[in-house]
Amino acid sequence: MQPNDQYYTLLGTALSSGQGPDLFLLNGGAQARARMDALTDVTASADGLVGLAEFESPEGAVMALPITIQGFVVYYNKARYEEAGLDPDAPPQTWEELVSVCEAITAAGEVPCFSLGNKEGFAAEFFLSAIAASTLTDEQHSAFAAGDLAWSSPEISEILSLWVETNDMGWYPRGANSTAKFMDEYEQFMRGDAANTIGLLSDVAHWKQFEDFLGAEGLGVYRHPAPDMVSDHPMMPVAGGIGYGVNAASAKADLALELAQTLAAAGPIQTFVNDAGVVPANTMVDTSGLSSPAAGTILGWLDGSSAQMAHANVTAEELAEWHRQSQLLLNGETTVADAAARMDEVQAAAHGG
Amino acid sequence: MAADPARTTARPGAAPRRRRVRPGAREERRFAALFLLPAVLLVVVFRIWPLAWGFWLSLTDAEGLAEPNFIGLENYVEMAGDPNFLASMKNTGILLLTLPVWIMLPMILATLIHLGVPGGKLYRSVYFFPAVLSSVIVGSIFNVVLRYDGALNAGLEFFGIPALDWLGNGSTALLSLITVQLWATFGMSLLIFLAGLATVSQEMIEAARLDGAKLWALWAFIILPSLRPIIEFVAVVTTIGVLTNMFGLIYVLTAGGPGTATTLPEFLIWLEQGQMNRPGYAAALSMVLFVLMAGIAWIQIRIMSRNSGI
Repeated sequence: MQPNDQYYTLLGTALSSGQGPDLFLLNGGAQARARMDALTDVTASADGLVGLAEFESPEGAVMALPITIQGFVVYYNKARYEEAGLDPDAPPQTWEELVSVCEAITAAGEVPCFSLGNKEGFAAEFFLSAIAASTLTDEQHSAFAAGDLAWSSPEISEILSLWVETNDMGWYPRGANSTAKFMDEYEQFMRGDAANTIGLLSDVAHWKQFEDFLGAEGLGVYRHPAPDMVSDHPMMPVAGGIGYGVNAASAKADLALELAQTLAAAGPIQTFVNDAGVVPANTMVDTSGLSSPAAGTILGWLDGSSAQMAHANVTAEELAEWHRQSQLLLNGETTVADAAARMDEVQAAAHGG
Repeated sequence: MAADPARTTARPGAAPRRRRVRPGAREERRFAALFLLPAVLLVVVFRIWPLAWGFWLSLTDAEGLAEPNFIGLENYVEMAGDPNFLASMKNTGILLLTLPVWIMLPMILATLIHLGVPGGKLYRSVYFFPAVLSSVIVGSIFNVVLRYDGALNAGLEFFGIPALDWLGNGSTALLSLITVQLWATFGMSLLIFLAGLATVSQEMIEAARLDGAKLWALWAFIILPSLRPIIEFVAVVTTIGVLTNMFGLIYVLTAGGPGTATTLPEFLIWLEQGQMNRPGYAAALSMVLFVLMAGIAWIQIRIMSRNSGI
């Protein structure tokens, strides 16, 4: 057994020494992009799959077959909304409505508006992607990923400002910088000790897990609104969750590809969807049997309401620095301008500047 | 030049000639080399070679899957301008400044136990107990104690003292971490001091007591001078320990934050190697940590040698 956070180190060592596995699992986005050279083109096997962008090479070839879709939505506790005098079936759709909701929940004084765990900086990652999905255009997302849209640009520094402002408005519990997102933040939400949380679509900290505690009827879901949205409704950040790629150096590439196709096929994924509660990348999977209202709502947003996941597009160096700067911003130990300037330096260095 | 009387006696009238090799000596040397070989091989294969390989890696741009290229001292130059590295050095400096506490606390407690305070045996066990716990367990315990809604803040608020985010605040996180590590490890130093105290002459202590010496005089003029080699040993071991054994606590309690408030060199090395996938830069950081530890240990051993008259 190896620690999960050492997976890519071990994989990298195996691949660089020519002893990598024939088939290996990858997260979409930065982790997949960093290993494109070690992968075989599997475009011909990608029919019927969505979430491919996160596994595409710069030339547009699909380099791994995704099995799940990952993304962020806001889950809320309907009972807490009712206690604060809010309509539990009318979650906020605009930034102004979200501010009002949080004011009402804060005024009720029972629980914070959002649970937040930023010990590792993950809450700041989720926040960045949740807001950017609604405030950035596709072109701006691509420019941010390429390092052409700076962190100090009005578009991105606005997100940093919102991170500070929401904290100043008292949306979060004290001690967020010493609370682990996985799972202290979510346990707080599942206990009913917070009204909202930014959660995942698949695997963990998602609708299936929350429903086990709050009940299917007690859990609501909405897309995170933002000020100055590019669309008339909030967008949901999504990315190819996890996928399987075939090692370019494999002596049994055909067999490995066959296994990848089997793993991504509708039959096996159907079981995964029903038992683990993932959102499938395979559009042939029958999701009509899912009884969860939250899951049904999320599936309805996949077409037309999904946007790129900003944090998954930036470099590992920028992410690590955003973890640090987000903590300093929460503590008031730096300013938005200083944090953005430091992020610009890291971004420039990571893109060879 | 006078003739060697022994040789003259043994070989009267013999002229100087080639030294004779004792029969079997060569074979003995061969055997000796054979016996030494496993130990030498172990040192070379598991110590010298990895160290040399690490140094070579630190001179390359090894990153991800790419083939490493020799880049000279570029990683070291980058380090000089890396705010995360500079922060980790500053944190190391703060950590080293607390070293006197790491030595004084177990020494004073060990002295009290040695001088027979009531319940000494119980204290000895209680103080040593955390030393058998892994840093992950210690971290998990103190996570519950030090978190914002944890036991410590609950106690403080009971007395009307405002709660603090001990692990999430830049001004308290490192000191909290140091305190936890001190709590977890000082029992080992205490045992070493107790062993050292067992060698202090009881007759001298009794004689001083008969002469009317008070506790502080006993401690300052008899016990402390006798313990000097032990103090120096504990200083070296503790220094190396705090520089290389805090990873588990950092990982569990603060993850190096907030910002870089609790990032120590070993955590930064892990971050660059495991998360950033930059083995070249991580190797350069490791070399700096190695030199830092070797330098501090060398200074301390020099002081030990001087004081013991070696």
